Amino acid sequence: MTEPTVIFEEVSKFYGEVLGVNRITLRIPPGITSLAGPNGSGKTTLMNLMTGLIHPDHGSISMRGISSRDPERLMHITGYATQYDAAPRWATGFSFITTGLLLFGYRRPEAEEKAWKALETLGLAEAAHRKMASYSKGMRQRVGLAQAIAHEPELLVLDEPLNGLDPLVRAETIVLFRFWAAQGKHVILSSHVLQEVDAISDRVILIANGMIVAEGKIRDVREEIQERPSKFIVRCREASRVAALLFSEDFITEIRLNEDRQGLLVLAKDRERFSRSIRRIALDGHEIDSVIPADESVDALYEYLIGEGK
Amino acid sequence: MNNRLRLKQAWTIARIELRRAFISKRAFWVYGLALLPAIIFFGHSVAVKFRRERLSAKGLVRPAVMDSIRPGEAVEAVLERLGKPPRDFQWERYRRIRPKGEAAGITAHEIISHRRLTYFDGQREAILNFTDGKLISSQIRRLLSFEEDRRIFAGVFQYFYLRLAVFFGCLGIFMNLFRGEMLDKTLHFWLLAPARREVLLAGKYGAGLIASAVIFAGGALLCFGVLLWTHNPAEVQAYWRSSGMGHVFWYAAAAVLGCIGYGSIFLAAGLLLRNPVIPAAVLLAWEGINNFLPEILQKLSVLYYLQSLCPVPAPVDKSMPAILQLLLAPAAPASRAGAILGLLSVTAFVLWLACLAVRRMQISTVLRRRNLC
Amino acid sequence: MAITAVNGQEDLMAVYRLGYQRYQGPVAGRWARLKVIPRFAWRRLFQQRLTVLLIVIALIWPLLCAAFVYLANNAELLKGFGKQFQSFVEVNGDFFMAFMKVQAVFAVFLAALAGPGLIAPDLANNALPLYFSRPLTRSDYALSKLAVLFGMLSLITWVPGLFLFGMQAAMAGREWFWANWRLGAGMVLGFILWILLLSLAAMAGSAYARMKAVAGGFVLGFFFILGGVSELINGIFRVTWGHALNPAWASHRIWCAMLRVDPAAGPGVPACISMLFVIMFLLALVIERKVRPVEVIS
Repeated sequence: MTEPTVIFEEVSKFYGEVLGVNRITLRIPPGITSLAGPNGSGKTTLMNLMTGLIHPDHGSISMRGISSRDPERLMHITGYATQYDAAPRWATGFSFITTGLLLFGYRRPEAEEKAWKALETLGLAEAAHRKMASYSKGMRQRVGLAQAIAHEPELLVLDEPLNGLDPLVRAETIVLFRFWAAQGKHVILSSHVLQEVDAISDRVILIANGMIVAEGKIRDVREEIQERPSKFIVRCREASRVAALLFSEDFITEIRLNEDRQGLLVLAKDRERFSRSIRRIALDGHEIDSVIPADESVDALYEYLIGEGK
Repeated sequence: MNNRLRLKQAWTIARIELRRAFISKRAFWVYGLALLPAIIFFGHSVAVKFRRERLSAKGLVRPAVMDSIRPGEAVEAVLERLGKPPRDFQWERYRRIRPKGEAAGITAHEIISHRRLTYFDGQREAILNFTDGKLISSQIRRLLSFEEDRRIFAGVFQYFYLRLAVFFGCLGIFMNLFRGEMLDKTLHFWLLAPARREVLLAGKYGAGLIASAVIFAGGALLCFGVLLWTHNPAEVQAYWRSSGMGHVFWYAAAAVLGCIGYGSIFLAAGLLLRNPVIPAAVLLAWEGINNFLPEILQKLSVLYYLQSLCPVPAPVDKSMPAILQLLLAPAAPASRAGAILGLLSVTAFVLWLACLAVRRMQISTVLRRRNLC
Repeated sequence: MAITAVNGQEDLMAVYRLGYQRYQGPVAGRWARLKVIPRFAWRRLFQQRLTVLLIVIALIWPLLCAAFVYLANNAELLKGFGKQFQSFVEVNGDFFMAFMKVQAVFAVFLAALAGPGLIAPDLANNALPLYFSRPLTRSDYALSKLAVLFGMLSLITWVPGLFLFGMQAAMAGREWFWANWRLGAGMVLGFILWILLLSLAAMAGSAYARMKAVAGGFVLGFFFILGGVSELINGIFRVTWGHALNPAWASHRIWCAMLRVDPAAGPGVPACISMLFVIMFLLALVIERKVRPVEVIS
């Protein structure tokens, strides 16, 4: 049996003359997938397309075998925590989630039990019976997450889910994401906190100007970009000497000396040969404190892939 | 998912919306609109009751004597024949006189004395206006006339309930169902429910319909009830036995059908247009000039069908300028079955358009930023 | 802010002693500042096709009235018609009353279209603090918004009215002007009263409803429903004082007095003026209560 997958086939979406996303083709397997990109790059559009809140102008979307134009079936397996924190005026956190669950066909006691469980999971049990209008931003964010997970969906789409959460809840939420992913579910999230995306995702999809510029595991993505030189920060006592030694190698394209004269920023075309050279220099008696790759984070990838457009 | 479950979903949506429609602060003005005529009728009945008691306490005159009053009679003669009136009000007015001829330029003043006597025979009130001691006008009318009140109710129902209360009430209730959610930025909550868009539309329309029908049909019936309560029970019972039940039914039916028709239009307008007030203003103007249009165009209005259902024709507005009254050419009313079918057909067509719109409806992040959707 | 490591000590945060100094350069005068909001609002309104279309439609009746004035002042053109028609074609109080009645209706629709966008979006987007953080008081803000509507509604009310009056005065001669200048003054004053009422209703609706669409409904409802309620009272109680509750009727009664046209039966001018002042005071109160730079979370 084939693995359930989220599939985008040549999907384009325009808002009048404004580009939403353009000719997106994607295959997302279960696990944690992060959508990363600058503001206005099309992350939310992509998520809205997945959940049928907007329809593509071109192409098709299949969410674990269900069309995004079939909300009746799709929303049974999908939970979407949007970034809009506007809450219905009438709702308390508890009634908001319970009401949503009633629409899934659950009987009231069952819906209440599930709502309560979701609220407890997100640490909102105490505020459950307060009007949502009085919630803080972080609490609204958590209620959004709670309503997305309350019906135990197979596919979670979470738009900036960690925004506004305090560090403790943030850590607990990340554990939850991993738990759901381990169960074979899709957890698709977007985030601006790039280090976090790097840390929690199985795969990252980088978007810029409505187009996918890279996808995969961050390290893999980095290694695929061969034509770009790798960046390393080298901390050492005799920075000028080390720089002179490195310059004799043909794979080094640029070296910048730090102002304190105890550090170097090295751009090398060949990572393997650079490591061999730096090892040799160290063995020759030059004191090397540290060698840190400066471009394996998502920040660095941004700079490589979408730097100009950022 | 089968149709039974879809129906259940629609009912769940309707129940949620019903709570909003009935008890939200935004809906309170609708109650005011629906209950205002009943309150005014009640105020009138209380006022009439007090007036009758006050006039009766000061003595009644015989009906025959009251009918014998003729214009031009002297006040003394009337007082002698009818006795001391329950109400006697006298005042004087100064009139400026500018003589012509030799006395031109000299302004003189003339004093004119006025007197108003009010008599009561137990049922009717006679208001007699005297100027300089002579009867110049008299008005004899029943203090409480069931016939007249029913005619007034027919006018109130057609001119106030159907044209204004149901119209604006439905505008508020049905526009809020989708457009209100868009403005509150909470529509995505509904669109993320595992329900077909048509089910969502049905649930919301059902809720709006139940709420508006209960409020406006209830308001109209309450108003009619207050009207009946004021009058002589024997008279009311006779009316009830003859045509009362039918009248009540058709008034309620017209109110409910008004909600069905206007509700569908405003629901669709809320889905199709960013500013539903524009079609509302156009519709208001169209319904307003409807009676002046050619017969065929008159039939393209909700009000035409609703008026055809009303059991008592509304009196013509006497304050309308004569030239407009000449242009007034109301079309012959449709048969009741025709009116109901016509209205339901228009509603079905409009709801079909709304279905198309709701199926295509999308949350637009670009528009959201501009606070439009 | 700067973070520095000094001799292995823990990181220290440098705190700069900075005092806020307000701008002390030259500023535009109060009236010049007040013009900013109307200027931008008018530009936006004239970019809306529907608003422009409504203004154009509203100017058709004044054009027809101008043709009427021309006809009334050309005796030769009237020769072929009967005496009854000739007496009908006369520019008097009734003529200006007919002109005002039609333009007043268009003014209601224009106010319902242009008015809701004045305050509601500012409140909905919590933009008032942005306004009031500038040298602009709440009353300045309200006055500026009032000026927006006043300008728009003037275009279709007293401005074409004054044009008609001027045209008639030019064609009929000085004598007509001195005998009838009260008609022109009455018309302008009557329209100003009407514009003030409409503007306050539109602004109050906009401030109260916070939603443009709802505010538009409020303006329409304000006039139509109050008119309905007054008829309701008159009908049920068999009286005429209910007319005083109808702002349109009350204004019309005042116009009748100003243009010396026979009024319909109902309350007199003092009662109508009092009622209009009460209504305007209540509308102003709504604006005063709602236009506040605070966000209320319930």
